[in-house]
Amino acid sequence: MEIEDIIQKLWSGVRKKHLYPQLPLPTVIEGGEDVALEIKSKQLAISSAFYEKLKGKMDGEEIVEAVLDHGITHYMYCPWDFHTHITLYNEAKKVVRQKDQAQRATSYFMDVVTDTYCVKEKDTKIATLYKNLPKTGVHEVLAALYEKIWGEDLGTGGHEELVNRLSRIPYLERKRWRESIRKFTEVIQGILEKEVANEQQSSQREPNPMGEHSLENYSLEEIDRGLREFASAVEELQEFKETVEDLKEELEGKGYSAGGMGRGKGNAIDANLLYYMKLAESYTLPIRKLPIEKRGYLHPHAHKPWEIGKPFADIDLWTSFGKIIPGITQIWTKREGETHGEFEGTPDCLIIIDSSGSMINPREKLSYAVLGAICACNAYLKHESRAAVYNFSDALRGNKVVLEFNHDKERIYQAICRYFGGGTALDPDDITYLLSCAKKPDIFIITDMQITNLEKLIDFFKKIENRVTAVHLGTNVHTARFKEGTEKRKNISLFNVKNKEDIPKIVLGKVKEYLTSPSEGR
Amino acid sequence: MKNPFEAFHQAGARKREIPLDKILKSKEETLSKILAGYEDLLKNEAKDLVWLMQYSTVIKAYSIAEKGMEGLEYTAEDIEEFCFALDHSDQIPYLITGPAGVYISVLCNHAKEEEICLHLQDLNVKINLLGYRLPANKKLIVEGNVGDFTGIGLDGGELIIEGSGKNYTGAGMKRGKIVIRHNLGFNTGHGMTGGELIVGGRIKGLGKIVGGKVYERDQLIFPTDGIKPFYT
Repeated sequence: MEIEDIIQKLWSGVRKKHLYPQLPLPTVIEGGEDVALEIKSKQLAISSAFYEKLKGKMDGEEIVEAVLDHGITHYMYCPWDFHTHITLYNEAKKVVRQKDQAQRATSYFMDVVTDTYCVKEKDTKIATLYKNLPKTGVHEVLAALYEKIWGEDLGTGGHEELVNRLSRIPYLERKRWRESIRKFTEVIQGILEKEVANEQQSSQREPNPMGEHSLENYSLEEIDRGLREFASAVEELQEFKETVEDLKEELEGKGYSAGGMGRGKGNAIDANLLYYMKLAESYTLPIRKLPIEKRGYLHPHAHKPWEIGKPFADIDLWTSFGKIIPGITQIWTKREGETHGEFEGTPDCLIIIDSSGSMINPREKLSYAVLGAICACNAYLKHESRAAVYNFSDALRGNKVVLEFNHDKERIYQAICRYFGGGTALDPDDITYLLSCAKKPDIFIITDMQITNLEKLIDFFKKIENRVTAVHLGTNVHTARFKEGTEKRKNISLFNVKNKEDIPKIVLGKVKEYLTSPSEGR
Repeated sequence: MKNPFEAFHQAGARKREIPLDKILKSKEETLSKILAGYEDLLKNEAKDLVWLMQYSTVIKAYSIAEKGMEGLEYTAEDIEEFCFALDHSDQIPYLITGPAGVYISVLCNHAKEEEICLHLQDLNVKINLLGYRLPANKKLIVEGNVGDFTGIGLDGGELIIEGSGKNYTGAGMKRGKIVIRHNLGFNTGHGMTGGELIVGGRIKGLGKIVGGKVYERDQLIFPTDGIKPFYT
């Protein structure tokens, strides 16, 4: 087949031109005649029907090279990664407020950046390709823009006012892309609205001739990393939540879920949970293990399905049929063996979190208390220790979550993120019960200390030997009382946080200190 | 020894100048000139970062701004760019909405275009004094909300605000038309002697109006039997 021969012939030269991207040899698909390119998990596929349709108008090699230049530049320059893609989408959405329009605006913006970069930086036939592509609707405006900013005759023109405004955007300044896409979207908003309205009437979507930019372009690992970066970058929890809610269907369709990747469509994505999960991944806490008897070195204990992000070294090739595919590949879970004598180990941890009305609702705003709890919980889980959660507001009236010790991150996060509001009262019996389920676990408590039965809690902590890290917001009479009541206890560390924003730092810092050097706890 | 990176040497390098580079360069140059003019105005008029909104100070600021931008070539897009620079950029030492509004008004009044559209809906600050002395044969459309003293001393132009305004809108306007799509604050049309002020939403309160017409939600509310012209 002619097109395949052309790809074979051009590929090494095109790779060299783009500084050797790590991409497989492009393939040919039957595809439609209106869309040139499809990208799925780094695999470029050129539509043969598109090629055949255009062959009469321009040289075959030029068509293939231009399409490859376009596809590779998406990979090498814009969007580059999933984080950039959703950041651009998020900015466009702020302008148009509609998912469909924001997706289109993002797609068009990335095409303009990509093609302009190619035209400026590389020897490419993209301009000739655009000259021969049909130009209607937004594509007509973009072609007029290209004429102006590339200085090429693409046989279009008009739309002077729009083009004047679009041509003032610094497309090749990566640092200004967020601001640029907002301006870009604002200018083409009118056309986008018309485009969507027309398609709703005719029930046919006009395709982007250079291909769509969906989540199909990214692997699960890239999506996971992108979401982690996005969670750290957004200013508000709501931004993250809105974007993830918008992409929920696509993410679930790809098999991405909050509890880990590769679990299939079964687990619905909880955007709030995912936010704290991804944000907490940015913090890691080393743990100095404590002398614990009957603990030893790790040994393979049982199999469980491999998920992207888990270490390859733990994969059991014999039961995985030699394949690295989430859901099929098996991984060894390891347990510490039993030995007699003093070996260092990590205790389990009971997380006690206050979710009364005086605490921030973690589903509405970023709660540093929840973030701190999740970070601490991660530190224990990473060392194969277990975590239990006691989430309370007015526990005596049933407003509580009691989650026993386990390794299931998603369940633990869900329990931590639960918000009740209302009054604050602990039930020490619940804590006693949870403590009895593990061998001398650590306790991590986050509260504003405005607990109605604070004296009971102080008495309770006075009686136990477990290590306790208590974190509270602000200073008040209750914190003073707690401090006074527990002052003599060597196993209790109290952290006084004046500013809410300090919580993650102080919790992390102090937890680290506490975990790495128990003697310096207080 | 063979260079292991030889294959990368000059690979794909072409790098040519495209018209976009020139457009952006000229845009940056114009913006710096406009910014320099604004800084001059601040140096003269708001030395202590204080600017009192008085009849005489507005007139003085206007004439200083006019002198500062003599011979400057710019377009409506440059004015818009300046508005965003006021809001976001670290190029601006400080933003004082009064002189900024006077300066933008001067830019609009002396622009080549007869019709100027400023897309300011993403602006965090509400600029005061927009449309000051807008002359006849000029149409200024502002998308977004504006601050106090919008369209004061309007001199025959047409000012359309696709949002809301604050207090003293249209104060002292002589002729022309101001259209506000949404709401206005207190002292609307204070001291206006002519022209039309058309408000699509609600007006919190009228000022002492001498002449002209004021409409609120398609209803003529000045002059009416209840509200007569104010004569000093």
